[in-house]
Amino acid sequence: MRTKCWIRCQGVTGLVALSLCVVAPRMLAGLGAAPGKAQADDAAGFTEFSARVQAYLRLQRTVESSLPALKPTDLPEMITAHQEALARKIQEARPKAKEGDIFTPAVREAFRHASQAALGGPRSASSRAYMQPGAPNPRMRLEVNSLYPDTEPVTAIPPELLAAYPPLPVEVAYRVVGRTLVLLDVKSRLLVDVARLILPPPS
Amino acid sequence: MRRRGVFPLILLAVVTLVLSSSGAADFAFPLQVNSVRLAVIGDMGTGKQPQIEVGQQMVKARATFPFEFVITLGDNLYTGSQPSDFEKDFAVPYKALLDAGVQFYAVLGNHDKTNERFYKPFNMNGANYYTYRKGRVHFFALDSNYMDPKQVAWLESQLRAAGNGDWKVCYFHHALYSSAKFHGPAMDLRKVLEPLFVTYGVDVVFAGHDHVYERIHPQQGVYYFTEGASGSLRAGNLRPSAITAKGFDSDRSFMMIEIAGDDLYFQTTSRTGVVVDSGVIHRTIRPVSEGVAHQSESRRGQAPVKGPEPNRRGFGGVPN
Repeated sequence: MRTKCWIRCQGVTGLVALSLCVVAPRMLAGLGAAPGKAQADDAAGFTEFSARVQAYLRLQRTVESSLPALKPTDLPEMITAHQEALARKIQEARPKAKEGDIFTPAVREAFRHASQAALGGPRSASSRAYMQPGAPNPRMRLEVNSLYPDTEPVTAIPPELLAAYPPLPVEVAYRVVGRTLVLLDVKSRLLVDVARLILPPPS
Repeated sequence: MRRRGVFPLILLAVVTLVLSSSGAADFAFPLQVNSVRLAVIGDMGTGKQPQIEVGQQMVKARATFPFEFVITLGDNLYTGSQPSDFEKDFAVPYKALLDAGVQFYAVLGNHDKTNERFYKPFNMNGANYYTYRKGRVHFFALDSNYMDPKQVAWLESQLRAAGNGDWKVCYFHHALYSSAKFHGPAMDLRKVLEPLFVTYGVDVVFAGHDHVYERIHPQQGVYYFTEGASGSLRAGNLRPSAITAKGFDSDRSFMMIEIAGDDLYFQTTSRTGVVVDSGVIHRTIRPVSEGVAHQSESRRGQAPVKGPEPNRRGFGGVPN
């Protein structure tokens, strides 16, 4: 019990530290003046995001622990079976999952601002050139709790954009489809959540 | 100002001409004892006949140049992530090599699924990026789809830990330098990776993504190759530029490398067995350049200049 409580405290401390790491540089950039309301809102948005991601991971880890562990194997059918079983069990565990569960309005705003800061202006052209050719079809179906299509490639996300977003645990990753930001469960290949119109339009 | 700009171009052209004068006939792998021998393939996982023919050509080449392992530059499986895709796009085309005990060390391309890292024959051991050592060569296999701060920090720590005495070879999917029309250079990635490569003395970088073969004149002392045509091909897509040392975009190809002492021998062979490029890179250990950011951390300095370095032996490539 005591250990559990300590782990929980550690988790919360880590979460706060993580959020500060992401937000502090932006706040420091505005030194000389008190951090604006927008910055504080973004900080709160990212803190909320990290907490919601952690909540998802608790569920995901619980579900995965009920399956045989996926280890490197010569048999691709083992990899596919694990991915499919994990996806099915997560879908069952979050039957009412919907857009905005993790990317809440406040979270979306924070990501929109971070994306604009990283990709807006003169940097936009080179970032688009990096992301676009060979990118997934921007009109592909993006539905929470469904699979990222097997036949679609992934967008290479500019390092600058990844640096502007909160870091993620290894189980999940950001994906970009057109202007939409996706939170992907990499092992099950499920779309955990989808946030539309986050990336700035091509200039 | 204009004259200053023209001079390096003339110098580049002259040096290129001189270095290109040694043709394939002069080239031979030394096959030295304890050398590191490998093959390089990229963008290969189509499961179609040209990929199979490249695989067959690799088997044929291995009879005279017994490479021990293969690095793949991503897009290992184009068609999907079902067991049949692993079979069709990888296990079948390279069956003879796999049966002979040749190891593959893969990275992920934009068409790959992250779970490929659990496929044992790719030797990724469940990781998106990893490092390993063969003889006196450190290999750094990166995930260029997702170059987040965590991976950048990991790379820097690994490059630093690798020290200065051995070769450092990085490989990943998106090319930092490319003269191909379809994708071209990944400028955003270059901004993040090139300073690390220069600072920590990376010698050679391999990438794919553009479905052509291209050898780039050294950039800030680093040698870049694109080999993205081992299965897919964008014929005629290369637009040779001032950075192009050699290009080949009319057929599929693969590379073979031998690293012996301070020399790296390379040969690029087409699907039909024609040698399209070859040469030697000589690694020189030089004192640290003054005034270059972070260079003081690296004993093995790389000249912070663009274009071929006259004090390196450089390439003996086949003329275009």
